[in-house]
Amino acid sequence: MNGGKGALTTEEILSAGIDIGTSTTKMVVSRFLLRNVAGLTHVPRIEIIEKKLVHQSPIIKTPFKSKDVIDMEKIEQFIFEQYQLANILPENISTGAIIITGESATKHNASEVVHTISNSAGNFLVATAGPDLEGIIAAKGSGTVQQSKQTGKVIANIDIGGGTANIAVVQFGEIIGTCTLHIGGRLIEFQNGVIHSISPPLERLMQRWDNPLKIGDAANDPRIAKCIEEMVTLLANVLSGQLQDEYHPLLLGHLPNWFKQVDAVVFSGGVAACIYEDNCSMRQYDDIGERLAKALQQHDALQSFLWIKPEETARATVTGAGTQTTDISGATIQVDAQALPLKNVPVFQCNMNASMADVHRIVANAVAQANTLFSVQENPVPFALYFSQLPYLSFQDVHELCQVILQQFTLNSRSNIPIILIIQSDYAKVIGQTIQSINNEIQIICIDQIKVETGDYIDIGEVLPSGVVPVVVKTLAFHSQ
Amino acid sequence: MNEELVAKITQLVMEKMNGNTEPQQVAEVQQNNSTLKILETPETSPTDGSNTLIKLYNNAPSREPINYDAPAYTNTQAKPFQFEVDSPSESVQAARKNTPARIGVGRAGTRPKTKTWLKFRLDHAAAVDAVYGEVSEELLQKLNVATVTTRVTDKEEYITRPDLGRRLSDESKEFIQANCKSNPQVQIIISNGLSASAIEENIMDVYLSLQQSLSNLNIEIGTTFYIDKGRVALMDEIGEILQPEVIVYLIGERPGLVSAESMSAYLCYKPRIGTVEAERMVISNIHKGGIPPLEAGAYLGTVVQRILQHKASGVALVEKES
Repeated sequence: MNGGKGALTTEEILSAGIDIGTSTTKMVVSRFLLRNVAGLTHVPRIEIIEKKLVHQSPIIKTPFKSKDVIDMEKIEQFIFEQYQLANILPENISTGAIIITGESATKHNASEVVHTISNSAGNFLVATAGPDLEGIIAAKGSGTVQQSKQTGKVIANIDIGGGTANIAVVQFGEIIGTCTLHIGGRLIEFQNGVIHSISPPLERLMQRWDNPLKIGDAANDPRIAKCIEEMVTLLANVLSGQLQDEYHPLLLGHLPNWFKQVDAVVFSGGVAACIYEDNCSMRQYDDIGERLAKALQQHDALQSFLWIKPEETARATVTGAGTQTTDISGATIQVDAQALPLKNVPVFQCNMNASMADVHRIVANAVAQANTLFSVQENPVPFALYFSQLPYLSFQDVHELCQVILQQFTLNSRSNIPIILIIQSDYAKVIGQTIQSINNEIQIICIDQIKVETGDYIDIGEVLPSGVVPVVVKTLAFHSQ
Repeated sequence: MNEELVAKITQLVMEKMNGNTEPQQVAEVQQNNSTLKILETPETSPTDGSNTLIKLYNNAPSREPINYDAPAYTNTQAKPFQFEVDSPSESVQAARKNTPARIGVGRAGTRPKTKTWLKFRLDHAAAVDAVYGEVSEELLQKLNVATVTTRVTDKEEYITRPDLGRRLSDESKEFIQANCKSNPQVQIIISNGLSASAIEENIMDVYLSLQQSLSNLNIEIGTTFYIDKGRVALMDEIGEILQPEVIVYLIGERPGLVSAESMSAYLCYKPRIGTVEAERMVISNIHKGGIPPLEAGAYLGTVVQRILQHKASGVALVEKES
């Protein structure tokens, strides 16, 4: 690829974000301005220099066909309406993410919804979120990640929606840990002054009580306050590092995994709209959302943290999905344009430990392991090999490395599948070019300056006029150290 | 630069200042192929009791009163000098990741600390060495390039008379005419310029990677040669003689305090006498800590391709591409 062609002008791409949450669904379309920020005398470095929201949908109730089935047609209809309102054709969307969050992610047709919509609603890249990724996207969308770059403080972003509270802890712009709890506005719903539904995790919590709440109990039952109190206390314990019980009924997934003391808290999500804006008109739901917001504000232990106001509350996750999931690759890369776009490519890390001494063994092992890990019934699936901690390479080193890579990939009869390499340091072009000079038959995608790890999945978009590619990393891990 | 070396030199300086003590031990340290003699002094050197006006306390632990009757240097287990451990706050560490500048280094009164100061002197010395150094004969042989000269006679003249560095010597003109391929698509030339170390460190990788890139793109390369003490605009005269379409001129950049090994690549479409600066392009900051030489070489190939495609370089290329 002709890296850097027209690199001096700005270019625009459109990104869409769609968030299908426990109680609400929303969408944003934003315009990214890309420009070479490296200056005329340097090798170009393309960055997103401006992100502008061009359309924000209203927040609608997530439509359900039944308790366990999301109404996909209604969601699609909603999305196309929004495109029309924004005056945008779906095929002009070149990146972005659709994520399904909170309890909606546990519905029967969750993955079908995400994949169908991602194919029909624009040529954008898809990311189904797990609870950890969801928290990270919310922390980015609420502005907490950006804010953490300006202070040394350890900040916890707590995104409380209808079903879950997704916590992401950030310092110096890096995510240092996550945790997800069953705390949300819709865990108890009312209808006509009585309890209409109680979510299963809350029922499990109340099994410890002598006299648990039941459907049909009055909406002003004092035990509801006790429930909320339990939720808020649990949150305070998680934030102060006191939760040890990995079987706590309100814990979703793993225990908190950060090792620093949290200094400040930021609340985002639907419930947070009630905290900061002091008006719950955005939430037209008959549930415990408002009371939960009040309880958070009044809880003593939570008051000991510094409270910071987010830039986005209810729309944090969708803003994050629409504006914060896309990375831009390094400008000097080697990609076979015909092989793109690629979606859901699993990543396998090949750590070189800053030495070339053992290159044969390390690469052979990595390729073999990745093959067994990712092959479906003997059918090789394309995967990306991520080279981290490469030493400073000479031309001979690069040659040796490329020989080994080619050897290993062709050994596993993968000749019809492109070789996808992600290089931590700035070597993509020379490595790609060297492989090409050894074997110019093989399709090669070699990009750099993207942070990934084993277990991540990446989407690589089509080549932009400036020669870079947009990349969405679906990470579940942290890259702080 | 090298922490250990800074520590050793400091040791040496401290010894010089403590001139009244007897050297107890001589250690030899191999560093950059030169041998430093390090003198170790016992911690109990009797500076306190002497009549000197200036007393040096080398981070000393509280000293026992000196008993002049007792045999001196009983506990003479000499310890190598060590700087206090640098333990910057998390914020400083985070900030340092974003810049090679000397930030968060602390101070001693109104002045920098010894370590900072020595490192500064070391970097400055490296910059001076880069200007006055020479590219080794072995490297030029490995590259398989002949050497030509300009009208400059020595380094002083090179620095004071840029105009002479922009013209070839008469015998070099003849040599080029006789030995180099005429009308190549790309002519690569190399010069030490203001930093011989830049060439020493980077040229091999940039050159090999650039050659590979051009050969992948089916672009023909002329006969590469090395110019001793050349200036950038010398490419104009070479353009006149060999009539290449593009010249890629790899030259050592004026050294700075962050790196003395920075190389630049100047590119120009059909440079001729009278070419204006706006037609030249440069890719600068090629070194280990900047653009990796290998990646720079690979990138340069694509820049050459663009220049050939649009038959223009510099401002004219930008205009044609937009």
